[in-house]
Amino acid sequence: MTDVVVQGLSKSFGSNQVLKALDLTVPSRQFVTLLGPSGCGKTTLLRLIAGLESATAGEIRFGDKRVDRLPPGERNIAMVFQSYALYPTMDVARNIGYGLEVRGTPKPERAEKIGTVAKVLEIAHLLLRKPKQLSGGQRQRVALGRAMARRPDIFLMDEPLSNLDAKLRAAMRGELRRFHLDLGTTTVYVTHDQLEAMTMSDLVVVMNEGVVQQIGTPEEVYGKPANLFVAGFIGTPPMNLVPAQVKNGVLTVAGTPLPVPLPPNAPAELVLGVRPQDVTMATPGEPGAIPGKVWMVELIGSERLIEVEIAPKIRVTAEVRASHRAALDDAVAVRPDPGHIHLFDPTTGRALTG
Amino acid sequence: MRPWVAAILYAVLGAITFVVCFPLLWAISTSLKPKDEIFRWPPTLWPEHVTLDAYRELLFGGSVASAPGAGVPPSAYFLTWFGNSIIVSVGSTIISITVATLAAYSLTRFRFWGQRSVPYIAILGYMVPSVIFVFPMFLTMVSLELTDTLFSLILGYVCITLPFCLWLMWAFFRGVPIEIEEAALVDGATRLQVFRQIVLPVALPGIIAASIFSLIVSWNDYLFGRVFMNSMENLPLTVGVMHFFDGTHVDWALMMASSVLMTLPMAILFGFMQRHLVAGFGAGAVKG
Repeated sequence: MTDVVVQGLSKSFGSNQVLKALDLTVPSRQFVTLLGPSGCGKTTLLRLIAGLESATAGEIRFGDKRVDRLPPGERNIAMVFQSYALYPTMDVARNIGYGLEVRGTPKPERAEKIGTVAKVLEIAHLLLRKPKQLSGGQRQRVALGRAMARRPDIFLMDEPLSNLDAKLRAAMRGELRRFHLDLGTTTVYVTHDQLEAMTMSDLVVVMNEGVVQQIGTPEEVYGKPANLFVAGFIGTPPMNLVPAQVKNGVLTVAGTPLPVPLPPNAPAELVLGVRPQDVTMATPGEPGAIPGKVWMVELIGSERLIEVEIAPKIRVTAEVRASHRAALDDAVAVRPDPGHIHLFDPTTGRALTG
Repeated sequence: MRPWVAAILYAVLGAITFVVCFPLLWAISTSLKPKDEIFRWPPTLWPEHVTLDAYRELLFGGSVASAPGAGVPPSAYFLTWFGNSIIVSVGSTIISITVATLAAYSLTRFRFWGQRSVPYIAILGYMVPSVIFVFPMFLTMVSLELTDTLFSLILGYVCITLPFCLWLMWAFFRGVPIEIEEAALVDGATRLQVFRQIVLPVALPGIIAASIFSLIVSWNDYLFGRVFMNSMENLPLTVGVMHFFDGTHVDWALMMASSVLMTLPMAILFGFMQRHLVAGFGAGAVKG
């Protein structure tokens, strides 16, 4: 089993620098997700690991072996593409076995491996079909089968579930996770869907503008965001981020003092972050509750989101039970749970707590 | 659709089909008529007495009575001309398709200066009528001492078919997702294996469409054959059959039988390749 070590990796397309001296270690046998918005460089990083792009600077190692000068075929990786990229003129069996075929694996051995993979993925009955005769989900499985057949050192997956419908995507998330646990192959998975990242990964690498923002377990990136970007990106609905001030050693938001312990050397101006799930509704005047007016109410199933304007253009969203009623412009108050408050330095964006 | 609308539509389509097909039917009919029936008035639509004399003469040297003057009759050259046409059509098509396919692949897959403008310049070149560059080309052939050789015709046909073949293949390769090539590279295939085993099979409809285009253009060409070639034994079919017209009379039976035999290879090719042709030109139309 192989770990992936990326050191000082940069990539530019013309004057556009997509990756900026990026360092990353993907531990052996782990399922690591590269998560970030479109254009953050996550797919470029994956393609650099695959050898489909060449780096402007830096190096990539698989275990002790430096690979960034090797062609993709010599890296012993397998990749699942967003579009599946099945070979349209070949049947499913040849699609799965093509990697073995070009490596000169004897036909009987190839057939056996194709059979085993097809059985595991429950596509044995599709082996003679062409890709265009398959549904999206079946194509997805064939793409996975092609990746699995060679027993590669590393799996690379580029948003492999994004073309599936929501129901199938949910089912495949579980299956992919299950395959990973069974095979134990080091996996680098690219997605912009935080639900996929949170549910499947051992480690999540949050990226933005070609820079790693935070590496941690799903619990860590959700519970202890390293900076304002991670705080705002992870979590649905997103974390409330509002300006706060320190006056006489007390944290105040929109003029309301909050009973929050401050870190040493906290600057006078801060950004307070609190997830909507950690905000409760209160009546104006209660200590620790910030008064305001109801600005918007949204029902999202079993919960209701109440957005409260606590100062001009500054709003805090609370996620409450759907049974909680509120009307627009009602005078209310929101109380952030002091135990779940995150503080950030507005200049550097870095977290001050945790 | 209302029945009377359908009836009118079918009547119009039937009439158009008849007008389009009539010359071919007339050629077949004339080629099967005995000589005295060809000029009978009123003409017979279908021969009263079917004869294969014209075909026999063309294919097996048959009677020489219809040949003008002394010496070898033109009909004796028919199979040579047929062979010449096959050599120049197939030869120029192989060159055009090979160059167009490789060039179009490079134009869609590798980055280099002028990458975007080359296909447009090529198609612009195709739009220039051949008659404009046939004489400069003839002078070039003279200086290269290539006139009256089949190779000069092959080169000439490559010049007129390559731009469109390149355009067609370029449009086709643009529609082939690069991910399937990347997947094959990751699978361990070499660039050449990727091209041969992944790209070419996918591009096959485009290659077939471009091949048929090139074959038809070079098979039907008259201009280049007329300008570049002199000797009877080197003529392509289109120019050769003009010798059945000797200035005083036309041997219509031979002319029509030649026309039918000339049409046959292309008609058969069309029959087999029609499906690919539509797919190929479709891709060019949408993505080009």
